[in-house]
Amino acid sequence: MNYVIAGYSIVLGILFLYAAQLVWRRRRLTRAVDRVVAFHEDGARRTDGG
Amino acid sequence: MSATRVPPPLSPRARWTVRSIGAAAAVGMALTVWLGLWVTPPDQVQGNLVRLVYIHPGVAWVALYLAFGLAAVASLLYLWPRTRSLFWDRLAAAAVEVGVVFNVCTLVSGSIWGRPTWGVYWAWDARLTLTAILLVLFLGYIALRRLPADPEKRAKRSAFVCLFAAVDIPIDHFSVLWWRTLHQGATVLNPDLSPTIHGSMAWTLLISFLSLTLVFVWMLLVRYRIGVLEDWLGSGELDVALRQRQAEGSSAGTADGATGTDALGTGPREPVPSLVPTPSSPDPAGVVAAGHPAVPERAR
Repeated sequence: MNYVIAGYSIVLGILFLYAAQLVWRRRRLTRAVDRVVAFHEDGARRTDGG
Repeated sequence: MSATRVPPPLSPRARWTVRSIGAAAAVGMALTVWLGLWVTPPDQVQGNLVRLVYIHPGVAWVALYLAFGLAAVASLLYLWPRTRSLFWDRLAAAAVEVGVVFNVCTLVSGSIWGRPTWGVYWAWDARLTLTAILLVLFLGYIALRRLPADPEKRAKRSAFVCLFAAVDIPIDHFSVLWWRTLHQGATVLNPDLSPTIHGSMAWTLLISFLSLTLVFVWMLLVRYRIGVLEDWLGSGELDVALRQRQAEGSSAGTADGATGTDALGTGPREPVPSLVPTPSSPDPAGVVAAGHPAVPERAR
C-alpha cells in the first residue's frame, strides 16, 4: 500500500503545484498588463491636460 | 496604443466557465481518490497495487492522446494556409506544456507501480522508453519556443517540431502490440475496444479519466490565457509604456524612470532610452521614424 500512497501523493502533488503555478503566473501577468494600460491612460491624460 | 490592442479581459461568462471546470475537476479528483483508495476492492492478483490503475492510465491518456494529440492537430492547422492563425500556435504551446507535466506524472506513477510489480523502477522496455523519448521531444519543443524569433517564424518552426515529435505517439500506443514488452496491453483502448475491467473498478476508472480530462481542460484554458498575456507583453507594448513613462519623468525633472520598478514589479527598472531623438541618440528605438509607437520585435 506504501507504493499506492506514494503514487497518488506524487501525482496529485505535481498536478496541484503546477495548477498553483499557473494561477500565480496568470495573476502576475494580468497585473502587469493592468499596469501598462494604466501607464498609457495616465500619459494620455497628462497630454490632454496640457 | 489603441484600446483594441489590449488583451480583452475575460467576460464574466468565460470566467464562470473556467472556474466551473476547475471546481468540477477538483470534485472529480477527490471522488477518484475516495473511490480508488477506499471503495474499490483489491485485485485478486495485484492486491492493493491495482489502485494505481485509477491514476496512471488517466494521466497517460491526458498526456499522450489529449495534450500531445491536440498539440499536433493545432500545429497542423497552423501550418495549413487556410487556417493559419496564432490561435493554433498558442493552443499547441499550451497543450504541450500541460502535456509535459502529465507525461512526467505518467513516468513517475509507472515507475512506482513497476517497482513492486516488475522488481525495478525502470526498464528499457519499448513502452517506457518511447514515453520517455516523447517527454524529451516535447521538452525540446518548449526549449525551441524560448529562442528569440518573431511570432510567425517561431510558430512555424514549433509546428514542424511538434508534428515531428507527434510521430512517436502512435508508435508508443502500438508498442505493446508490436513488441514483447513488460508493460501490459491496453485495458480500455485495445484493438477490440472491449474494456477488460468490470464493476466498481470500471466506474472508478471512468471517473478518473473524466476528472483528469477536466483537470487538463482547466489547465489548458489557464495556460492559453497566460500565452495571450505573454505575447501581448512581449510584443513591445511594455517597452513603449516604459519609454513613455521615462520620457515623461525626464521632462518633469524627476528620477522616476531611473529608480522605479518595472511593470512586473519584479525589480529595479533598467535604464530605457528616451523616445525623443537627440543629437547623440537619434531615435534610439526607431519608433519616431516609424511614425507609430510600436517597438521593434523584442527578443524572448
